[in-house]
Amino acid sequence: MATREVISTGNELSAIAAVDAGCTFFGGYPLTPSSEVMHVISDLLPKVGGTSIQMEDEIAGICCVIGAAMAGSRALTATSGPGMSLKAENLGLAQMADVPLVCVNVMRGGPSTGLPTRVSQGDIKQASNPSHGDYRSITLCAGNLAECYTETVRAFNLADRFMQPVIVLLDETIGHMHGKADLPTVEDVKAGIVPRKTFDGPAEEYFPYECGPTEPAVLNPMFEGYRYHYTGLHHDKNGFPTEEIETCRKLIQRLEDKVMAHQDEIELNEEFMCDDLTGADDEVLIIAYGSVSLAAKEAIRHLRADGIKAGLFRPITIWPSPAKRIAELTGKIKNVLCVELNIRQYTEEIERASSRLDLEGLYKVNGRAISPHEIVSKVKEVF
Amino acid sequence: MAKTLMRFTGVGGQGVLLAGEIFAAAKIKTGGFGLKTATYTSQVRGGPTVVDIQLDEEEIYYPYANDGEVNFMLSVADVSYQSFKDGVKEGGTIVIEPNLVHPTEEDRKIWNIVEIPIITIAKEEVGNVITQSVVALAIANTYMDAIEKQVLLDTMLSKVPAKVHEINLKAYDLGEKYAKEQMA
Repeated sequence: MATREVISTGNELSAIAAVDAGCTFFGGYPLTPSSEVMHVISDLLPKVGGTSIQMEDEIAGICCVIGAAMAGSRALTATSGPGMSLKAENLGLAQMADVPLVCVNVMRGGPSTGLPTRVSQGDIKQASNPSHGDYRSITLCAGNLAECYTETVRAFNLADRFMQPVIVLLDETIGHMHGKADLPTVEDVKAGIVPRKTFDGPAEEYFPYECGPTEPAVLNPMFEGYRYHYTGLHHDKNGFPTEEIETCRKLIQRLEDKVMAHQDEIELNEEFMCDDLTGADDEVLIIAYGSVSLAAKEAIRHLRADGIKAGLFRPITIWPSPAKRIAELTGKIKNVLCVELNIRQYTEEIERASSRLDLEGLYKVNGRAISPHEIVSKVKEVF
Repeated sequence: MAKTLMRFTGVGGQGVLLAGEIFAAAKIKTGGFGLKTATYTSQVRGGPTVVDIQLDEEEIYYPYANDGEVNFMLSVADVSYQSFKDGVKEGGTIVIEPNLVHPTEEDRKIWNIVEIPIITIAKEEVGNVITQSVVALAIANTYMDAIEKQVLLDTMLSKVPAKVHEINLKAYDLGEKYAKEQMA
């Protein structure tokens, strides 16, 4: 596939990707270290007939995005951890009502206002269940500049496919680093857009929430002659509130199953220098994602130069987790090191997936990056 | 050519940091890899700011310079000089703005400390303090010989409005002149 070279930052690439993927609406509130997503898209959208609004706060930011999505637009909001906390309730509403939207979270130190300008991966667990209740989050995590673009594009396609919010996690390092990215062409991105399904039969036969047990609702854009009710309450096929036992059960089960039955369409991983890992006792598997994976890749170069056979497994789709592949790799390779800019947030998922409690970990929560040297030292110390 | 690691430090709002983007873009233009990563504090103005610039023929993964490996540092604020000097490898060059940065005698034994009044040059000789970024760019490139001069100038000019091309070229020439004088 043809590519083009762009020199930019992760935040800027995410904004450009949204526009290329057909996003026509942005609503949000500028929050460090995500602000450039809003700055850039505010400049780009009006030029293509789109709309960008700075709202009065984070909550209003996601609410207007839900509205735009209900009206048929591909819609984006961007924020950081504190904003995710504020948006949580309405992310739940979008989950409940099958509303597709993309939410970029450029992670900074938390909890609360935390470390505004410093890097962290502290929102991994939050992304899996930002709101109360049962549903399955789809969360993607960019591990280099090019993925700030490609994962934002993928997020829009997944949102429309599964009719729900998709979270794109960047972190302060990836969001602000400035360098070269090889991107797919705009033509290829546009050719890859699959618009959300719509119902084009008679309006009286339209029931948006009457769908298969593992399928998303079919929400026609509002104001086009197809009327339905829209609520955060448990609802029937028309969207009207109900407490009917089976309808309630089926609705929430569907929110779970529409994602989990189609994980093959969502899962994406990178395996870096894993091809020659055979399961020998002295081999090392590092598991990392986001900007930490960049340090891990450089660490692997050093380890291999020192004669230590190491490889990296990097989930790009964080939620739902690639549990099966994690089980396969951790079943084969004895020495596993999880590296995260938080305290064991994804390690616990890896433990669950691998059924192993003997994984080693390297964690940091002071707003500073983990360096390749720290990873090399840790590997040499523990294995 | 080996990997070049440069670190530009100042305080938020000084603008000396733009040079990093120009370096990275110029290196990429020549077919190599360039990466600029800034670290700053939550103070909007006045907090220590550091920009790491890595230029290499090979793909660069980790976006920060490893401490102890920095070849060249430029500093226009004492708070950032003190915070980040230890990242520079022994014998490496540190260019400081002597009116604002105060190294110890011990520092002068460890590193090649060069005094160039970057801000004064920009303000008084070029005539616009904003051009300190380009003065710094010229000084760094003269010391490191990192990028072919014309490629760097073309990249710099592509990033500033046409009406300030001339003043920025003047800033580059002055930065280069002062660096060469110090190196002589």
